[in-house]
Amino acid sequence: MTATAALAARHPPDARLPVWMIVLAGSPIVLCMAIMGLPELADDHAAAFRVLFALTYLAWSVPIAIVQRHLWRKVPAWALVAVMLAATYACSIVNNVLAQVLSMHWGRTPNFTWARNLSGLDGCWLALIAFCAIHAMVAHAHELRAARERVREAEGLARDAELRALRYQMHPHFLFNPLNAISALVTERRNDDATRMLSTLGDLLRATLESGHLHEVSLADELATTQLYLDIEKVRLGDRLGLDVKAGPDVLRARVPSLLIQPLVENAIRHGIARLREPGRLGVQVSRDGERLRIVVTNDGPPTEPRGVGQAIGLANVRERLSRLYGDRQHVDLDLAAQGGCRVEIVMPFQAAAPRETV
Amino acid sequence: MRVLVVDDEPLSRRGVCLRLARHADIAWVRECGDGESALALLRDTPVDVAFLDVRMPGISGFDLLDRLPPASRPLAVMLTAYDQYALRAFEAAAVDYLLKPIDDGRFEEALARVRMRLGGAPVVDAAQAAPVRCFTARIGHRDVVVRVDDVEWIEASGDYVGLHVGAKTHLVRQTMQQIEQALDGRRFVRIHRSTIVRLDRVAELEALSNRDCMVRLHDGTLVRASRSYVDGLRAALGL
Repeated sequence: MTATAALAARHPPDARLPVWMIVLAGSPIVLCMAIMGLPELADDHAAAFRVLFALTYLAWSVPIAIVQRHLWRKVPAWALVAVMLAATYACSIVNNVLAQVLSMHWGRTPNFTWARNLSGLDGCWLALIAFCAIHAMVAHAHELRAARERVREAEGLARDAELRALRYQMHPHFLFNPLNAISALVTERRNDDATRMLSTLGDLLRATLESGHLHEVSLADELATTQLYLDIEKVRLGDRLGLDVKAGPDVLRARVPSLLIQPLVENAIRHGIARLREPGRLGVQVSRDGERLRIVVTNDGPPTEPRGVGQAIGLANVRERLSRLYGDRQHVDLDLAAQGGCRVEIVMPFQAAAPRETV
Repeated sequence: MRVLVVDDEPLSRRGVCLRLARHADIAWVRECGDGESALALLRDTPVDVAFLDVRMPGISGFDLLDRLPPASRPLAVMLTAYDQYALRAFEAAAVDYLLKPIDDGRFEEALARVRMRLGGAPVVDAAQAAPVRCFTARIGHRDVVVRVDDVEWIEASGDYVGLHVGAKTHLVRQTMQQIEQALDGRRFVRIHRSTIVRLDRVAELEALSNRDCMVRLHDGTLVRASRSYVDGLRAALGL
């Protein structure tokens, strides 16, 4: 699903509040009206008038809410205020007329007068104005929350895209050396070695491409991918590459960023062991220290040249991704020994991957 | 054994046929370039095993199996570049599936499975006598005796086999097959075409996303168990 489609799916174009929710938000006004009517309770018919006003208020609140909701953000604020004032005033007049008719029926008012109807604010106008104000506040709060959510979502998608881009930087690097080695094997007619290397390269590509939609994989999977890579390098370098890959208890199910160890191992070989005349050793140690996972990659290498070290794309990339995924809860240390050799230590939170169901 | 190879790419068919030609018991091989012609051939020609490409124009390898009446369905080995068909192959009761580019070792494994299904007894030496106690490895000009009891795991390495004893590796000029047969099957288990482990050294198993398994030994060494051996390993460990 594309980013825009994902946004659209979660935020339908009509992000406004439903009418029933607005009416519900305005319902405490009925209570206010009841309390304001308390002093008049001595009057015989006061209760009846208050009930009439409460019922008419509730009846009016629905069309008023619909009108305001319809005009919301479509007309300027002053126009909305004017329209709503006029509309509520009209409702209030209708109420007053109803009340006066009722009053005449009970004989409390001798005859019908427009003046009282037009000036009387007590009927319902103030209540409806308050209702419109509450509507505006609730709608505004709702908009703010929706906007915040969208921003959060956009940030998530951006982070996703960045992580993906960072991971894709890794892909082409490990292809060329093996391809060159295979071509050499074919030239030498070492067919079995060539086909074995091709199928290992196929497995490696599958493993890296398949984790393409995942930022994190299990450590076992990451180590398996790293081992495929090392199998290829082993054919290329032969006895020049000595390997020592070890894992402590209860770490294989840890969740780690995909292609975390492989680029470090690639660096260790490219900048270290491949530049040595004599055989060199490459070590990968993974251990767990309570809630922390420690990954140490060590390698022999030629005496260090001051420039270019640590600038390798692999290490910078790993640093970047770790900090994006785990913030301050991780660190990457690089130690270069003067006489050659290098040690990279990663400490990051231990999080268990979801157990895989066995087929 | 009568074999049919179905794949829309000629070179890919050629690769399978050349590998089949190394086996004396395979005398009859036919090729088809698409599912339709394979279907026509299979309807009136009995075939023991079919190597089927999954993705072909028209009928896919799986469709081909579906369209055949169960009685005339050959044993199937699926060929695919995509790992996600593994489960499907499992459901279609395929004997095995091979990922492209094809690995020779895996190809041999698949053929061994086919032979087993066809009822040919697994090629086990009748001389399955007492397992050996020692191997002799050559270091420079002298021979070193390696006690089997000390060997923790064994790994194929070119024309040699590496016996891992602690931090040392002794090279013995034998094939994995020979070594496997010389060992006590109750103590040593093959977990990969190039790996044998001693059962009491296994500390942890962790399933991988492609149905293989990562095995951690007590000293922290990591070895890989391929899916065709995982069940055997679990059974041997009593899991």
